[in-house]
Amino acid sequence: MAGIFDFVPAIVLLPFVSFLVALAVGNRLPKGGAFAGIVATAGSFLLSVATFFTVSGGQTYNQTIYTWANGLDGAVTLTFGLLIDPLSAMMLVIVTLIATLVHVFSLGYMNDEGETGLPRYYAGLGLFTASMLGFVVADNLLMAFMFFELVGLCSYLLIGFWFREPGPPSAAKKAFLVTRFGDYFFLVGVVAVFATFGTAAFAGSESFPHLAEQALHGEHSVNTFGFEPRTWFTIVGLLVLGGVVGKSAQFPLHTWLPDAMEGPTPVSALIHAATMVAAGVYLVARMYGFYALSPTSLSIIALIGGFTALFAATMGVVKREIKQVLAYSTISQYGYMMLGLGGGGYIAATFHLMTHAFFKALLFLGAGSVIIAMHHNENMWEMGGLKDKMPVTYYTFLSGSLALAGIVPFAGFWSKDEVLYETLVHGLGGSPILLVAYAMGLLAVFFTGFYTFRMVLLTFHGEPRSQTARDPHGVHWNVKGPLVVLGILAATAGLVNMTPVAELTGLEIEFLHQWLGHGIEGLTSHHYVELLESQAGYHAAEIGPIVPGLVSLALALAGAGLAYFLYNDAEPTEHTDKLGGAKTVLYNNYYQDEYQVWLANSLVQPFSRGADKFDQGVVDGVVNGVSSVSLLSGNRVRRIQSGVVSNYAVLLTLGLTALILGFGLLGGWF
Amino acid sequence: MVPPQYYLLLSAAVFCIGLFGILTRRNALLFLMSVELMLNAANINLVAFSYVWGNVTGQTFGLFTMAIAAAEVAVGLGIILVLYRDFGDVDVTKVTTMRW
Repeated sequence: MAGIFDFVPAIVLLPFVSFLVALAVGNRLPKGGAFAGIVATAGSFLLSVATFFTVSGGQTYNQTIYTWANGLDGAVTLTFGLLIDPLSAMMLVIVTLIATLVHVFSLGYMNDEGETGLPRYYAGLGLFTASMLGFVVADNLLMAFMFFELVGLCSYLLIGFWFREPGPPSAAKKAFLVTRFGDYFFLVGVVAVFATFGTAAFAGSESFPHLAEQALHGEHSVNTFGFEPRTWFTIVGLLVLGGVVGKSAQFPLHTWLPDAMEGPTPVSALIHAATMVAAGVYLVARMYGFYALSPTSLSIIALIGGFTALFAATMGVVKREIKQVLAYSTISQYGYMMLGLGGGGYIAATFHLMTHAFFKALLFLGAGSVIIAMHHNENMWEMGGLKDKMPVTYYTFLSGSLALAGIVPFAGFWSKDEVLYETLVHGLGGSPILLVAYAMGLLAVFFTGFYTFRMVLLTFHGEPRSQTARDPHGVHWNVKGPLVVLGILAATAGLVNMTPVAELTGLEIEFLHQWLGHGIEGLTSHHYVELLESQAGYHAAEIGPIVPGLVSLALALAGAGLAYFLYNDAEPTEHTDKLGGAKTVLYNNYYQDEYQVWLANSLVQPFSRGADKFDQGVVDGVVNGVSSVSLLSGNRVRRIQSGVVSNYAVLLTLGLTALILGFGLLGGWF
Repeated sequence: MVPPQYYLLLSAAVFCIGLFGILTRRNALLFLMSVELMLNAANINLVAFSYVWGNVTGQTFGLFTMAIAAAEVAVGLGIILVLYRDFGDVDVTKVTTMRW
């Protein structure tokens, strides 16, 4: 029977077809191939929604589609397959929805602004979406890795879209290289998973999280290379985490993300909300059954996440460009997701992934709208007063900002609050290290509220501070439409999982808990909770979600209020100047770039020089030596070919004599 | 019956004469003759052992050798004719164009 699951490959293939169409005949299509992309992503979206409803009916799908390397005699078999469970079904809907809206928005941002090279742009968007969707439905780690890399490639192509200017190509290279650095560890991790378990499947009784669990119970033996099983699983988990840290822009590999703002704004929306950056967090959620076995990995994830959330939020406070503020807010929000995952809040992190996808896409598209209006000037100090000129953008942007700052009842409040709550209860329940991460996350709430409203107030309130702000460029339906859709979602998406309200009223309204609680055995949130308790020693302390929720709300309001107090003037002054030296440090991103460049110049470069010398001198030397020896000896030996037949006869005779003598001596004739 | 040692001595002597000819002569025709001597030395051996063991296989091979020798002479004489035509001489030490 042809069920909806038979059409799941089409979700991935449709954007890929739009990539091919835009690449091949995009020049001859109206709007440079935009319609092909819109039709394809909208089709994917509809199929994803249908899949979503089928999954909500209790069906799941885990099927190998294509075996591309058949392992003989116990060797590993490499396959492509589909895994559709509640998590991936939800992610499919998010990715396809955002991709569709980004395509529509691009009509306003790219086509109407008269950009050239549009087929290349739409081809890139199509491939980007297809890669991310392939990553989402991947049923094994190797397939996930391959699509992970494709996502990285597409980000390179799109960030460097305006390749004739100096900035974008350099930012694209940086994004590619920094994420690549993390992916090295990921690749080693994939190989380690194969070497340990002989499989990289995510789900089923022969999947690696399940085998790892059995190995810890002593029911199944795996090759752990001489380590304790738990130690080894921690090592493997941390190797894979390398890729996650790179892609999800966590400290210390976050430096590529702010530079990636050089790309077109719709691309930034796609990268930050739905595709590339989300891939890292999604991967941890996908193989959460494996991470849940190792309390060490979980603590490291939580600490990285908490630290990144705070660290990035402080940098967002002083930036002048609207997209820079958003970039640091993205890093910070992904830090929250990592904090949630490490803190034992699988559902909370997934929830935040979802709400963040909506409100961050909204904010980027809103920023894109402002940038159109401002004739591509991104400096917030030259904006101001745009509230009355572009009300649709203002109110949707405000909705996204309230969600980002975590003000009740917008989406971000519910999810961020749940992340913090889960971390807190597990921290109090016997994992004190989580409390450190929690404290950093909580502090970051204040900074988030501050920088968000600083951005809103500087951009939209006060008096216009430049000629372009007094007379902004208008935007069309293709910009406003996506903004309105996302604005509504940013306001309401949080309502699907209102844990504090459920606690207060006793209603069964935690829909996301129910949603992620069913599905494939071993991939449900119930199973993860069991694992966290039995394996990682995570126990939930008995505190209600109300008080921690009020604390974080109060902090967010305090941050927002401080911003309102400081910047709600007609002519706001740059109050961050009062920070003095601290501002310089923050404005220069804690000199992270300088320090990484220093590392590259003074450590990696000499090492590479040494390796180059070794390669040129020793390796090539041996090879060249062998060849020159044979060249020289050939040069000498060929002289015996004198052309005189008598000499040959002499050599023949001498050779025969020597042969007979040799035989005679060895054979014992004499 | 003549003991086989005599045949072997005769064969060795003929072979050595042929070898000597190849190592010392410069005339291509003499080369060819020397090669023939060496072949016939081998033939003597074949026939002698055939005679000793009372088995005709050796003699059969002797006939084969003669046929091959005849063919070889035909080819060899052809080469010598070409040599003479191209170089005006049959001195093997002067024809040294096929070398490194």
